[in-house]
Amino acid sequence: MSKLRRLGELALALLRELADENAYRRHLEAHGREASGEEWRRFSEERLRAKYARAKCC
Amino acid sequence: MKLLGRLFWAAVACAAAFCLGGIALNRGEHINSIWLVLAAACSYAIGYRFYARFIAARVMALNDERATPAERLRNGHDFEPTNKWIVFGHHFAAIAGPGPLVGPVLAAQFGYLPGTLWIIIGAVLGGAVQDFVTLFASMRRDGKSLGQMAREEIGKVGGIIALITVLIIMIILLAVVGLVVVNALKGSPWGTFTIAATMPIALFMGLYLRYWRPGKVLECSAIGFVLVMASIFAGRLVGEAPEVAPIFTLSAMTLAIGIILYGFLASALPVWLLLAPRDYLSTFVKLGVVLMLGVGILFVRPELQLPAFTRFVDGTGPIFAGKIFPFCFITIACGAISGFHSLISSGTTPKMIAKESHAWPVGYGSMLLESFVAIMAMIAACVLQPGVYFAVNSPGGVVGATPAAAVATITNWGFPVTVADMTNLARDVGETTLFSRTGGAPSLALGMAHIFARSGGGQALIGFWYHFAIMFEALFILTIIDAGTRVGRFMLQDLLGHVWKPLGRTSWMPGVIGASALVVGGWGYFLVQGVLDPLGGINSLWPLFGISNQLLASIALCVATTILLKMHGAKYMWITCVPLVWLVSATFTAAWQKIFSPVPAIGFLAQADGLEAALRAGRAANVAATQTLLFNARLDAVVCGLLMFLVAVVLVDSLRVWASILSGSRESQVCEAPFVLSRLRAEEL
Repeated sequence: MSKLRRLGELALALLRELADENAYRRHLEAHGREASGEEWRRFSEERLRAKYARAKCC
Repeated sequence: MKLLGRLFWAAVACAAAFCLGGIALNRGEHINSIWLVLAAACSYAIGYRFYARFIAARVMALNDERATPAERLRNGHDFEPTNKWIVFGHHFAAIAGPGPLVGPVLAAQFGYLPGTLWIIIGAVLGGAVQDFVTLFASMRRDGKSLGQMAREEIGKVGGIIALITVLIIMIILLAVVGLVVVNALKGSPWGTFTIAATMPIALFMGLYLRYWRPGKVLECSAIGFVLVMASIFAGRLVGEAPEVAPIFTLSAMTLAIGIILYGFLASALPVWLLLAPRDYLSTFVKLGVVLMLGVGILFVRPELQLPAFTRFVDGTGPIFAGKIFPFCFITIACGAISGFHSLISSGTTPKMIAKESHAWPVGYGSMLLESFVAIMAMIAACVLQPGVYFAVNSPGGVVGATPAAAVATITNWGFPVTVADMTNLARDVGETTLFSRTGGAPSLALGMAHIFARSGGGQALIGFWYHFAIMFEALFILTIIDAGTRVGRFMLQDLLGHVWKPLGRTSWMPGVIGASALVVGGWGYFLVQGVLDPLGGINSLWPLFGISNQLLASIALCVATTILLKMHGAKYMWITCVPLVWLVSATFTAAWQKIFSPVPAIGFLAQADGLEAALRAGRAANVAATQTLLFNARLDAVVCGLLMFLVAVVLVDSLRVWASILSGSRESQVCEAPFVLSRLRAEEL
C-alpha cells in the first residue's frame, strides 16, 4: 500500500514538474514572495523565455 | 550476478532473439502485434541492463560522489536537483514529438519489418547511446549546450555550423509538421472545428492562470482537457450541420495560410496568453494518449495486416520514392536516432540531474521509451488493411485523382481495396473522403481509432476516437509550430544582433516582428510548396527533414566521439563511431540521391530537368505553377547540398582533431568541470 502511495506521489510530482508548478513554488521561495497574478506573469516571462529560447524537439 | 539473475537475463535474451527471429522470418501469414511489442521490450531490457551499464561503468565511470551541476550551481531556476523519475518524465516529454509517430507510419510502405528492426536496433545501439553520452558530457560541463561543446571540443566552426544546421532544421521541421496538419484537416469540418476550438480554449487557460488562479496549471489543464473533449463532440455536430459545416470545410491552401498566420500571431503574443497554456495541455494529452495506446495495444493485441515487406522495397513507393537503404533510415529518425534529442540532452535535463548515475535511466532509458512509441505507431499503421493504408497515404498525383482511379492503381499493386470500402470507412469516422490524406496523421489516427474502439466503445465510437487521435496529433504539432517559431525567432535575432545590435533585442518590437516574419516566411514558404506539390509534398519535405535531423545527429556523435577519444584514447571510440559511420553513410547517400538521382520522383535536379523540358516543349498545363515547381525543386536541392556541405565540414574538422590526438600532436585534455564532493542525499528528493 505504501509503495502504491509512493507511486501516486511520484506521478503527481511529475505532473507538477511538467506543469511548472514546482518551478513556480521554487521561484516564490527564492524571492520570498506570495503567489499572485502579477508574480505568475513575472515567473512565466522569465521561465518561458528561457524555455522557448531552446529548440523544440521533433 | 547471482545464478537466478543470470537465468532471468538469459531468458530475456532468448525471448528477444526468438521474437526478433519470429518477426523477421515470418512470411505469408498475419503476425500478431504482441510479437513486435515483446521483441522491442526484451531488446530494450538487454540493451539497458548490459550495454548501457557497460557504458555507464567502464566508459563514463559515473560517480555519485561527484557533485552534479544541479547541486553545485543550484539556483532554484534552471539548476535544481530533482528526483530521477521526475527528470525521466520531464526529459521524455521534451524529446517526444510527432517524429516517432509520423516517421514509422510513412516507412510502413516498405512493410512492417525494415522499420521495426531499424527502430529497435537503431535506438539500442545508436539513438539511446547518443542521448546518453551527450547528457553525460553536458552534465560534466555545467550543462553546456551541444554548440558550446562542439566549439570547445572540436573547434569554432563546429559550434557555428551546429547553430546554422539547427536553424535550417527548424524551418524544414515546422513546414513538414504544418503539412501533416494541413493534410489531416483539409475538407474535414469536424477536425478543423476541434482544432480551431483549442485556440480560444488555450486563451481562456492563459487568462485563467494569469487572473483567476495564478500558477494552478494542473487544475487549469484539467479544465482545458474537459473543454477539448467537449469540442470533439461539438465538432461532430458542426460537421453534420449543413449551415455551419461549409465554414469549417477548408481547402489545403486555406488551411496552410491559416496555420502561417497563426504561427506569426502566436510567436508575437505574450507567452503566458497562448503558447504556455497550449504547451502544458498538449504535454499532458501527449503523455496520456501514448499511455492509452500502449495499454490499448496490450489489451487488443491486433494482427498486423501489412506484410513484412511490400513491393516498394524496390524504391517505387507512392508515399516517398527511394529504396530501403538509405530512405528507411532517414524517414524514421526520432524513434531510432534523432539529432534533435542531443539539444534536449544538452539543455534543461543536465541541469536537473541530482546524481551522475541518474543519467543512465534518463539519457538511455527515455530514448528507449521514445523508441517504443515509434513501435506503437508502426503497429497502429500496420493494423490497417494494406489497400486502405495506401489509399489514405498515396498522393493523387501518383495513384490518380479520382477514387476509381486510385483504387484501380492500388488494387493493381496487389493491395485490394474498393471505393465502397473507402466510402464506408470515411462515413464511419465522420469524414467525406479518406483518399490521398498524405502525411501519416490520418492513417495513424485510423489505426489508433481501430485499437481504441476495440478497447472500448466498439464501432459506434470509431468516429470519436479518430477525431480524438487527430486532435491529439494536431494539438501538439501546432504547439511545436508556435514554440518552434518563437525559438527560430530567438535564434535569428541572436544572429542578426551581431549585424546590428537592436535587432538582437527580444524586447524591441520592430526586431521581434521582423524576425518573426522572416522565420514564419521561411517555413511558410516550404509549407505552401508542399501543398502545391503534385506528389503530395511529403515526398520532398519529409526526406529533407530526415536528412537534416540525422545530419545534426552526426554532429552530436562527432562531439561525443571526440570526448570519448580524449577520455580513453581509441579504446572506446567505437561506441559512438559505429552509429556515426552508419548514420553518415545512410544520410549522405540519401542526400546525394535526393539531389542527383536521375529518377524524377527521387532527385530534385532530375525533377527540375523534367519540368524545364515540359516548359520548353510547351507541355506545361500551367506555366506559372510549373515555374514555381521548377524553382522549388532547385531550392530543395540547394538546401540539401548546403546541409551536406556544413556537416562535411564538421566531419573533416573532427577527423583532423581525432588524427592529431591519436598521433600525439595535440593534447587530449577534456574540458570537464573540476571534481567537487557531493553532499546531496538523493533519497531525500
